[in-house]
Amino acid sequence: MTLRELVARVTASRGMRRARLERFGAIVQLAWPRALVFVDRAMARRVVRGLKGEPWNDSESALGEHVLSAPLEAHLQLTNRCGAGCAGCYTGASPAGAPNEWGLAEWKRALDVLGAAGVFHVALGGGESTTLPWLGELAAHARLRGIVPNLTTSGLEGLARLLAIADRFGQINVSLDGLGATYAAVRGFDGFARADAAIRALRAVKREVGINVVVTRRNFDELAAIFAYARERRLSEVELLRFKPSGRGARAYDELRCTDAQHRAFLPTILAAARRHRVRVKVDCSYTPMLAHHQPDRALLAELAVYGCTGGDFLVGAKADGRLTACSFMGSPEGRPRVTDLAAYWRAPDAFGAFRRWRDAREPCASCAYHDLCRGGCKVASAHVARDPAAPDPECPRVVDHVRAIEARGSVPHERARRHLPTLR
Amino acid sequence: MNPNSSSLGVDVTFLLVGATALAVVTPIVGAWLRWRRNKPDVHDAA
Repeated sequence: MTLRELVARVTASRGMRRARLERFGAIVQLAWPRALVFVDRAMARRVVRGLKGEPWNDSESALGEHVLSAPLEAHLQLTNRCGAGCAGCYTGASPAGAPNEWGLAEWKRALDVLGAAGVFHVALGGGESTTLPWLGELAAHARLRGIVPNLTTSGLEGLARLLAIADRFGQINVSLDGLGATYAAVRGFDGFARADAAIRALRAVKREVGINVVVTRRNFDELAAIFAYARERRLSEVELLRFKPSGRGARAYDELRCTDAQHRAFLPTILAAARRHRVRVKVDCSYTPMLAHHQPDRALLAELAVYGCTGGDFLVGAKADGRLTACSFMGSPEGRPRVTDLAAYWRAPDAFGAFRRWRDAREPCASCAYHDLCRGGCKVASAHVARDPAAPDPECPRVVDHVRAIEARGSVPHERARRHLPTLR
Repeated sequence: MNPNSSSLGVDVTFLLVGATALAVVTPIVGAWLRWRRNKPDVHDAA
């Protein structure tokens, strides 16, 4: 970016877009640089005029001590229709889609509710949501409600329609799980050329284009090359996601999930690649145990709001029929309300179950210095391996070491805990 | 004060530069906020 462009951006920016009261203070959304800034009450009073409201009726607390007043973002699965048939699709998408999928009117109502609750972003996905003829209208409606609509797409369908409405989105990320033949090795079909063409076409009309990479044991060694690709295509970010055992991913989990050695090497690998290729890197919440393994400065992680599982708190999901979920990778239990009923459900005593009970941790999470940030790791992985979403994350290096130590002792000192410890073979 | 880049994951690029750089950046962001002080839409979810 040139100095002139920088000055133009700062001048054009109206600074703060929105602010939302929280018990710890407030969340201020900046238009540029794009960021949510968490401030305590004293700072909130200094930077935003006229703040008062219910969250401040109680005594001030630290961020993370209480559930937020509403999610920061909602992941909306607009459809479960998709013809790609990826081997590890976490929603199990198919050309037929899901029963009772919502249409434009229902999703608009959902955005009305989310906007009224103070949600800042929605992540629109599928299935393949670019095939929906009303996607652009929905994105425009999100903007009307003060919500930034971000989009994830395979890039394999609906490209012409997407190019025409690309300016309505905040960030558009194309799923790209490998380069060339690796793409096929991970996804089960050769779609790299089409995904690459979509990335180039989108980048030609929009700056905020990135890639989502589901990291598997088959593409781990290619991560540096993927960062180089992102640099070459002048992409704004690389977003790395852990492979989740949900949808068709449950069947492919043992075959595709990263090895323990790869998880331990994850952080230095991606930071080296980001430094070398000067590409911004983001990781999904399930990677926090792999970050904590390297014992980074805990205060720094807190300053950067690097949290683990914040499902049912910082974020929520909604299935294609509107059913509310704690996160987009988790199923929706029987009786869970629709996202349009978010406000009432949010304050229900046992809302989101294990996702909000993360403080009731077992060992080795209970004694982990990072637990209040990590919150026990990925509950989707725990639910699959231990049949219990509240169990410690089975892929966390600390948990792996804990299980090995118990097995090496040849005894089970804590029978009750041992019964629930997840074990990966 | 707590910066969060939010949507779709957490930005770990800052881990490259460490706490010292963040300590420099934080007051700059604070100054920026005060300089741009205006009246955004204040949302009270209550």
